[in-house]
Amino acid sequence: MTSGRDAPIDDAAIVRELVTGSEPALEFVYDRYGAAIFAASYRLTSDRGIAEEVVQETFLALWNRAELFDPAAGSLPAWLHAIARNRSIDRLRAAGRRPALVALSSAAGSDEDPTQALERLVAGGSVVAAAAPAPSPEDAAAAADSHDMIRRAIAMMPDVERTVILLAYQEELSQTEIAERLGWPLGTVKTRTRRALGRLREVLGPEFRPGAGSGTDDGMDALPADEER
Amino acid sequence: MDHDETREQLDLAALEPGGIERLMAGDTPTAQAVAAHLAGCPTCSDELLRLERASHVIRSAVRELAPADLRERTIAAVRAQGVPRGRSAAAAASVPAAAAMAAAPLVPAAPRRRVLGWVAAIAAAVVLSVVATSLIVGSRIDEGLAAQAKSIAALQQVTLATLHISAEPDAEHVQLAGPTNPGVAGSLVFSSSTTQLSVVATGLTPPPAGFEYRCWVEVNGSRERVGKMFFSGGLAYWVGPAPAISGIGGGARFGVSLVEIGGGNLDADPVLIGAFGAGAQSWVGSPSGGGAIFASSGGGPVIAPSGGGASR
Repeated sequence: MTSGRDAPIDDAAIVRELVTGSEPALEFVYDRYGAAIFAASYRLTSDRGIAEEVVQETFLALWNRAELFDPAAGSLPAWLHAIARNRSIDRLRAAGRRPALVALSSAAGSDEDPTQALERLVAGGSVVAAAAPAPSPEDAAAAADSHDMIRRAIAMMPDVERTVILLAYQEELSQTEIAERLGWPLGTVKTRTRRALGRLREVLGPEFRPGAGSGTDDGMDALPADEER
Repeated sequence: MDHDETREQLDLAALEPGGIERLMAGDTPTAQAVAAHLAGCPTCSDELLRLERASHVIRSAVRELAPADLRERTIAAVRAQGVPRGRSAAAAASVPAAAAMAAAPLVPAAPRRRVLGWVAAIAAAVVLSVVATSLIVGSRIDEGLAAQAKSIAALQQVTLATLHISAEPDAEHVQLAGPTNPGVAGSLVFSSSTTQLSVVATGLTPPPAGFEYRCWVEVNGSRERVGKMFFSGGLAYWVGPAPAISGIGGGARFGVSLVEIGGGNLDADPVLIGAFGAGAQSWVGSPSGGGAIFASSGGGPVIAPSGGGASR
């Protein structure tokens, strides 16, 4: 088994280890693909709770049905993603609560601009929401790159900054709620979240970085090292 | 308000859901001051646009990050519910559950704690489940053997996890009862320091298609999902980490509700409930008989711990 995060691995060899009951092999596969499966399920369901359950069910299915994996038919990650996708769709169907979203442009007439189309559809009661147009392949690749950069930046952050940024953006807690949860002074929370936000904006590139005008070109430098206010 | 103050307000607003929209609504003195500054400062207005773009990208990327404890929960789920493989398969097929439990290395050797009556009850339920499934094996070898191996492995994992949690210095026990059905009962053991939790119940009928039994923790009237109940023989169970119980105190409740699979609604009436900090013997419901906790796979009560046996 190869230990490097990006090194090529032998799917068949890994699965053979799973069949023998190797938990290290299971952990290896999780470390390799778990995050991507969660992200894919979340993108499909927009529900972190469901995505968590889909990940668990996907790896349970891998463990229970490892003998069925055929490397000639496809790669292990492709197999895992197919399982996760099916589980995600099952969940959505069972919940029966998600309307199919379509690009507004696809609902507009040939002589109608999107605003007119939206007004017509809303007035007719046939739509209450619409999806954004599907991103171009270039935009999708750029978004994937951005997400990857952010994930790496978060992984390299000091623990205190990672904690607050995850509480803010994942659990959607307010600064006050984060302070209560962690038992930190509110000023400390604000300083650390701003610093973390600044780091992430830096990695995204110039069009996202804090601009000039405040007397500091770098949002991080504008903050004391670990201010407690 | 100067540039720095404005940018601090913008940053902090960007970190909260809908924060920038609220700030731009201008319905607080701070928001009005920010709006006044932005109206006369194209640099900060540009900064707002960049910040909105960045915040959108960061939020969507962070939302796609799996929680750190999902790895452990996933491995635990596979241990608890996966088919026995390798050595565990051999153990499940040949070793009596109680003997396997005694040899298991999961329980720390020190400090030794008195084996609790209710933990012993779980072990006994495992043994009885083995006996019950063995009867099936006699008539339907293949199906029965597979079912037996899976059932034994699952129940062993529940028992071992329960023993493991009970060895924690801060382990606590909560009895659970069906608020409307006295035939439903359960037992919860948890450690608020490790956030490990094990819950078992009997009397629950398997959920209908499209539904599941969802576990939750309720603090100050707000429910947070914990896990879902799985079934093995006559036992329903869930084992794993539950961050929601970290530092939990009196007044909080643990419950199980029948909900639609994948649904976010946790407000359904509980089918099983208990109160944290209410004492090991205090039933929230009013089960008749007051003590029968475990049932055989046939559903009838087989163990009724005596009064002190279920306390710690």
